[in-house]
Amino acid sequence: MTASASAGERRPARPRRRVARWLVGIALTAISLAFVYPFVWLISASFKPRGEVFDNRILPETFTFDNYLSVWQEAPLALWLANTAFVTVLATVCVTLTSTLVAWGFAYYEFPGRDLLFWLLLGSMMLPGAVTMIPVFLIWNQLDQVGTLTPLWAQNLFGSAFYVFLLRQFFRGLPRSVFEAATVDGASAWTLFRRIALPLSKPALVVTAVFEFQAVWTDLMRPLIYLRDSDTFTVPRGLKAMLDQFGFGGQWHWELVVTAGVVTTVPVVVLFFIAQRHIVRGITAGGGVR
Amino acid sequence: MGAAVRAARRRSVRPRLAPWLFIAPWLLGFAVFTAWPVLYSGYLSLTDYDVVNDPNFVGFDNYVRMFEDPKVGLALWNTFVYTVVQVPLYVLVSLALALLLNRAGRGAGWFRTAFLLPKMTPPVAVGVLVLLLLNGQQGALNEFLGWFGIDGPNWTTDSAWVKPGLILMSLWTVGSSVLILLAALRAVPEELYDAAVIDGASGWYRTTRITVPMISPALFFVVVVNTIGAFQTFTEAYTAYFGAGNSTYGNDAALFYVIYLFQQGFEFFHMGYASAMAWLLFLVVAVITAVQLVVSRRLVHYEGDR
Amino acid sequence: MTRTLLPSAVLAVSLAAGCAQGIADRDGADVHFDADSPVAGALNVMGFAAQDEIGQTRLDAAGEAMPDVDVSLVEGELDVQQFMSAVSTGEPPDLIYANRDQIGTFASRGAIMPLDDCLDGEGIDIGLFREPAVAQVSFGDSVYGVPEFNQVQITMANADLLAEAGLDVADVNGSDWEAVTAANRELHHTEDDGLSVIGFDSKLPEFLPLWAKANGADLLSADGRTAHLDDPAVIEALEFAVAIYEEQGGFGAVKALRDSADFFGSGNQFASGSLGAMPFEQWYVNILNDVSPDAPLAFDTFRDRRGEPLAFASGSAWAIPEGSANPQAACRFLKTMTATDTWLAAAQARADARAEEGKPFTGLLTCNVEADAQIRDRFVDETTDSVWAEAVTATYTANAHTFSLPANPADAEFEAAWQDAVNRVLNGEAAPAEALREAQTVAQEALDTAWAQWAQR
Repeated sequence: MTASASAGERRPARPRRRVARWLVGIALTAISLAFVYPFVWLISASFKPRGEVFDNRILPETFTFDNYLSVWQEAPLALWLANTAFVTVLATVCVTLTSTLVAWGFAYYEFPGRDLLFWLLLGSMMLPGAVTMIPVFLIWNQLDQVGTLTPLWAQNLFGSAFYVFLLRQFFRGLPRSVFEAATVDGASAWTLFRRIALPLSKPALVVTAVFEFQAVWTDLMRPLIYLRDSDTFTVPRGLKAMLDQFGFGGQWHWELVVTAGVVTTVPVVVLFFIAQRHIVRGITAGGGVR
Repeated sequence: MGAAVRAARRRSVRPRLAPWLFIAPWLLGFAVFTAWPVLYSGYLSLTDYDVVNDPNFVGFDNYVRMFEDPKVGLALWNTFVYTVVQVPLYVLVSLALALLLNRAGRGAGWFRTAFLLPKMTPPVAVGVLVLLLLNGQQGALNEFLGWFGIDGPNWTTDSAWVKPGLILMSLWTVGSSVLILLAALRAVPEELYDAAVIDGASGWYRTTRITVPMISPALFFVVVVNTIGAFQTFTEAYTAYFGAGNSTYGNDAALFYVIYLFQQGFEFFHMGYASAMAWLLFLVVAVITAVQLVVSRRLVHYEGDR
Repeated sequence: MTRTLLPSAVLAVSLAAGCAQGIADRDGADVHFDADSPVAGALNVMGFAAQDEIGQTRLDAAGEAMPDVDVSLVEGELDVQQFMSAVSTGEPPDLIYANRDQIGTFASRGAIMPLDDCLDGEGIDIGLFREPAVAQVSFGDSVYGVPEFNQVQITMANADLLAEAGLDVADVNGSDWEAVTAANRELHHTEDDGLSVIGFDSKLPEFLPLWAKANGADLLSADGRTAHLDDPAVIEALEFAVAIYEEQGGFGAVKALRDSADFFGSGNQFASGSLGAMPFEQWYVNILNDVSPDAPLAFDTFRDRRGEPLAFASGSAWAIPEGSANPQAACRFLKTMTATDTWLAAAQARADARAEEGKPFTGLLTCNVEADAQIRDRFVDETTDSVWAEAVTATYTANAHTFSLPANPADAEFEAAWQDAVNRVLNGEAAPAEALREAQTVAQEALDTAWAQWAQR
């Protein structure tokens, strides 16, 4: 009796797994609806005429392309997209490369003053940007770069505290034995970093790149402060200028605001959808480690 | 950077130099783009700087004034309450979603994208949506609560419900933390689970004894970064309650520290005072982060430290 | 490595620190303005956004008036962080387009220059502009901005709801507060799940200055130095306006219903019959005409308790930053933009555009008295028997009966103080008298400090 009961408990393990998987799928679908909602609302609203933007229907009652036409006609979108892409790609590449190097330095080595320096790194995230904005602006002004695209990406050459911290956490989570074996084999610090640490941290690197891409692509504050000539505008900066042009006194053209929002967001979403599959490949048992 | 790389190769025989080469770019950037602005803002906090005119030294006047300003106390309190509730909730939700996502089979890519969507949607659109969804009369949230027979509050005007509403809405942006935790989950060697399965460990046991310790470095990151972020909460509350919208209606319950700092600096032109406020915030956050760091020594498990 | 890094860091820091400056050299005195001398060079304009036909027509006119000037616009509304960053370097834009209520703050800190020489030299008659608007841009003994556009409030009401209740628009135009209270009681409607029709919306917190003035009180003395927030007439005005909400179940209920309506769409409060009446800015008439031309509307001016039309004016202004590289061109530019002929051309363009769409031209409030009169005369049709004509008439009447808050060095803080007070009352955290008394202390302190600092400069 007892034996058969325990055997009976063992057997349904497989169906139970399948049920569990189904439950996970259903739960995720339900939750994701709440997350997809704002974007669906946005896309739907962008196809509505002015008077219906806020009618809260998922399917537009009156379907119109006019908002896209207005945005396209009023704005040199191609130029703005090119500027944005230029800045975003440079910023993303720089910040990912440099932050990885710096994080490796903090994670793998012990050296005098390391903890103090790391503390400074954390500290640099704690002062609100509102007060450092003007001093930083003064530096770029002194370097004669105000009005150019440089201030929008060049600071990323030096890495960013946020990503250094993130990647350092990842590197420190990697088993040290892996590196020691390689060190015995006579691998240099650089080889350790490139051959072992980098491949193992690929998900974190993808996360870093995606975050920075999204942040720079949608950033409004820096372009607003640094750019003057509409030829240098990024998409968010240009769209702000365009939206401000329609009337005054709070007469927002929400149908154009939402359309502009879609135009800005879609490239990032598509890119993320492509990039995210690289997060899948992580460490499989023993694979690539030994 | 190319030079640093080459140098690193050449001098790898001298390992003591290697770490400095790795962190050199950040050190340089820190000196120019962080240290100076930070020190300069420290200097400004001792002046009456109004951006237009040259700063005059006023000693510790700004700091003294801060203690007499009831709004500083209010803003600090609001921010503190928000942080204490929001951060744990945010981290738990992120972890739960990451664990679910980690077990999703087909369609995982779709879900990963879905969770990140609100983060990618422009804040101005989200700001409007928040007001629509939280509307006490016809908002979707209260409609949802109505299905369960709950009569929802006026989220946007009832002082007691303004912060809970904002916290709820902040969960919309958990996507980025979910992704970080998911990436960490992916780095947990599967052999650990295989061993546990052989030992007959339950799912709960595996999660709490293997998964959570193994991703504790990433969890720690999420906690620290979100705490710093929560103390600097600005955009959502500002656009909803203080920004230039259709109405100048505001609610003291949503007066967070950086919002008041922004008002002082850029609306009232008291940049010296705003700088002093920034330093007080820095001090508070630094103490809390230090506590987190100390506590983390016991709780965070770094596989690399053996 | 640390040894070589640190000195270079220190060097970088000291280099950068050397460049921090305010607007140090102020030698605006030797700038000479003359309407007859040609202007040239570059002109960098920040904050000008209105690229509709009215903006474009005037911009073209300015281009023709100074062919040798290369005008570049930093597009988008003036963002204060953007402007202040530019000012902090000592290289501000040459001309800015700002809200009139920002001028006092800018002027008192020396961020913009007095325009006396500009007005004299270019022959701009500031007397031609609406007085309350000029008061908003005057500081000390000087004018610091040239105003344009005027936003005024008129009474807007749902004619059907009024008729059903046996009321008239005169009951809700503010001339008789007892009548407004009674009308609100009649018009508002509550169902099981809460308020379903707002009877009267007193539009707090923004319209406290309007209600106070209607009750004979100014929030701020004419010289901009003394706050009157705890004046019994102000307290009475706030008590009245708040009671309007309390009658309907509190501000929360009213705001929730107000926010759930599709303000800019065909489901707006008037079209859906969920609002009896409110005072509101005239630009909303255009929206209503666009999205719900058949809604049952009634218009009148807003009136004070003696029955006189009254409106609180706001709008934009041109100002020249201290340190502008080309003040002469800036002055010529602002002169052209606000000249009567320019406005007439702009109105022509707008009237044409509206006619093309088959819609009425509902007027244009320019702040230039002469331009206002001529535009009304030439382009506005008030003879047709329609509610839209009533709205236009009410708008022009309101335009002639405006008041404003005088410019002062603490206008943002002053505004924040009374708005905070109103919000605390609306949120049920304080009684009107108590909240306003506290606000009075805060506001007066801010004013005293700001004026004292101004005196030191």
